[in-house]
Amino acid sequence: MSDHHDHAEEGSPLTETELRVRALESLLVEKGLVDPAALDALIDTYETKVGPRNGAHVVARAWADPAYKVRLLEDGSKAIAELGYMGRQGEDMVVLENTPKVHNMIVCTLCSCYPWPVLGLPPVWYKSAPYRSRAVLDPRGVLRELGVEVPEDVEVRVWDSTSEVRYLVLPERPRGTEGWSEAELAGIVTRDSMIGVAKVPAPARGGRR
Amino acid sequence: MRRLLRAADVGQVLLKGGPARLPDDVVPRFKPGDRVVARNINSTGHTRLPRYARGKRGVVDRDYGVFVFADASAMGRGKQPQHLYSVRFAARELWGPEASARDVVFIDLWDDHLDPA
Amino acid sequence: MNGIHDMGGMHGLGPIDREENEPVFHHAWERRAFALNMAAGFLGEWNIDMSRYAREQMPPAEYLATSYYEHWLWGLERLLVEKGLLTRAEIEARVAELRRLAPR
Repeated sequence: MSDHHDHAEEGSPLTETELRVRALESLLVEKGLVDPAALDALIDTYETKVGPRNGAHVVARAWADPAYKVRLLEDGSKAIAELGYMGRQGEDMVVLENTPKVHNMIVCTLCSCYPWPVLGLPPVWYKSAPYRSRAVLDPRGVLRELGVEVPEDVEVRVWDSTSEVRYLVLPERPRGTEGWSEAELAGIVTRDSMIGVAKVPAPARGGRR
Repeated sequence: MRRLLRAADVGQVLLKGGPARLPDDVVPRFKPGDRVVARNINSTGHTRLPRYARGKRGVVDRDYGVFVFADASAMGRGKQPQHLYSVRFAARELWGPEASARDVVFIDLWDDHLDPA
Repeated sequence: MNGIHDMGGMHGLGPIDREENEPVFHHAWERRAFALNMAAGFLGEWNIDMSRYAREQMPPAEYLATSYYEHWLWGLERLLVEKGLLTRAEIEARVAELRRLAPR
């Protein structure tokens, strides 16, 4: 990992990176080009308000409501907007259904494109060289490394997010969740399952929340 | 054109986003099912056509409609509205005969990235 | 451009290092770098495609050795100078000043 030179411990001198960020912020604020309160609001939005719980809500609704699932697969943006999730880096959504025969996986080999309104900001591994290089080249190897074994008769589809279309995987609903409420279902949907690098595990007996 | 972003506007601005979709009044060059080959583009400017797909043959899976063409927009050459497609490439086409016979890669590519195969 | 960012299919870039329950931002400066990019972009001097292109021009060895938000910082500086919102001289002068004033 390369973070040895980009942050300082408490009480120690600022790193070069910290100095540069402060320099830019102070200059831009002085020139009236950015409003510090706006910076705080942006940070707060993505640190606390927008995240994978949004996507989990979408997935749970699709599992619980077959008519919603049809709408979701037909027009992702519109169906996701029904739940109030929309906007930046999610203006054009396409939802991909995982089935016993098809496993979808999402990557952005060129940078880090990711569906912010439903998943928040991407994790470091998604934006990093190992995943970006190997997801399109050896998806089964990547999935195995991340703990998912895909049988030979299942088709793996990797989606490289090269445009402003943003993808979301609708993972398979695990067995043992029959009759669960939407809230209970949402509670077990993981971010990684919505990227397509994990399955949603079947709950332990009596493991509903 | 300078617009200062104020804290009170952040929520609204983020919800509105920055759609890249444009009015659908451009004739598409391809339709779903068409066999295409990705162009061998190697300019020093911006392109969203990855190297691993250049010269490779695929099939148009979906026409997403008309969008800003990123390659042009990045270089200050305007929006150049054109159709954007999801193009399906077989793993073996991209990576050779040792790759999976079953798996595929879908890449979003624009009209200007493609030729008929 | 045929830059280092175009990574699909490359070998040798290592194992996927997944951190469990990772925070959205790992350091305070990352928060500011993220927000500055967004707010500066809102000024309308460049579009999202230009911002991606800016980052793509980072020297390859530096790109591979630095973290994601360091790429964003590099790209932002480049765009601000390219579009004439700041000069390289005033950025470096401010960095030097802050370095002098920084706690020891």
